[in-house]
Amino acid sequence: MTPGESSSPADTVPCSRCPSPAITVLRNSGIHLCGEHFAEDIEQRVRHSINEYSMIKEGDRIAVALSGGKDSTVLLYLLHKFLHGRKDLEIFALTVDEGIAGYREDTISSAEHISASLGIDHIIVSFREEYGRSLDELLRRRENRACTVCGVLRRQLLQRAARANGATKLATGHSLDDEVQSAMMNILRGDVRRIARVLPSDDASSFVPRVKPLRDIPEREVAMYGMVKGIYVNIRDCPYARFALRSDVRSLMNEMEYRHPGTLHRVMNGYDALTSRVGGMFPNQSLLACRECGEPCTGERCSACALVHSMNRENMGH
Amino acid sequence: MKIRYAQGRTDEISIDVTTIEQVLLQLEINPVEVIVSKNGHLVPEDAMVSNDDEIRIFRIVHGG
Repeated sequence: MTPGESSSPADTVPCSRCPSPAITVLRNSGIHLCGEHFAEDIEQRVRHSINEYSMIKEGDRIAVALSGGKDSTVLLYLLHKFLHGRKDLEIFALTVDEGIAGYREDTISSAEHISASLGIDHIIVSFREEYGRSLDELLRRRENRACTVCGVLRRQLLQRAARANGATKLATGHSLDDEVQSAMMNILRGDVRRIARVLPSDDASSFVPRVKPLRDIPEREVAMYGMVKGIYVNIRDCPYARFALRSDVRSLMNEMEYRHPGTLHRVMNGYDALTSRVGGMFPNQSLLACRECGEPCTGERCSACALVHSMNRENMGH
Repeated sequence: MKIRYAQGRTDEISIDVTTIEQVLLQLEINPVEVIVSKNGHLVPEDAMVSNDDEIRIFRIVHGG
């Protein structure tokens, strides 16, 4: 069975724009769309986000963070579709192998497959090469910290590898759901500094600027686009996901989205408005070079080195 | 009606003619967390289903 195929016309709802059978209904508007018009709609909305937030400009060399899961696969596919005829832009794929046994092998193989099929250069970097140990090894007896540790180290490694390979932008596959979950997590943690975005990653002179072309597309629609285009990757959950606050927030927000359609978009719009107002409320911290790895940071050590250092110290204590 | 989950598990339930959305709610699945195909073709949540149909439920795995 091919999930991307649309239904036989006899017993289904027609597309609102043509006689073909619909594959989905947009919950906000009640509009039904067939596979072709759904894909067209997604492409138009992603192009709009790229333009609205000026994500890409002439001369850019774009590193696409490619985990090999559905979101980053769709992102790579779309950026290739939009940009492959442009002589003034370059794209390459960048994968971080965190070292999660029984899980990462499949996604890396998917990442290799989609990059090769689109003819895009693919670079793989790993925690083991960069930090001396895999995520599994780093996390022994600390599984409940998995997403924090993985997030800090992966973000730094993506930045470092993007810069080392001459990238001027780092594109990630964060969907609307991801962005709303992060916003809600900042609120639930009372993390005002993060809400105000006083993070070093906002300093474009020291960091490769991140762009998120899928930020306005719900995760379900990203997955459906992947199915329609025959590039859907059905992987299982990361084994560490159950430890994360994000997992609870995700269920909560999905429940709200079902009961009150449009909640995700409204939260995101409100959060964007909030962050744009409070963005200057903290003084900017000057950036220093990490004394261990030389990466830009606000203290003596960058957050990745500080984390690895503290984990090594804890290990010695056991 | 036969239900296939993308992870390989199958289930059989008896329903009146109803919508995909109602079947999902009966199975305690939030419709925004899955994509459903009926007899091998993707369908919207308001598509009708009966006991003769086979539906397949793709849970959207987070991340990637």
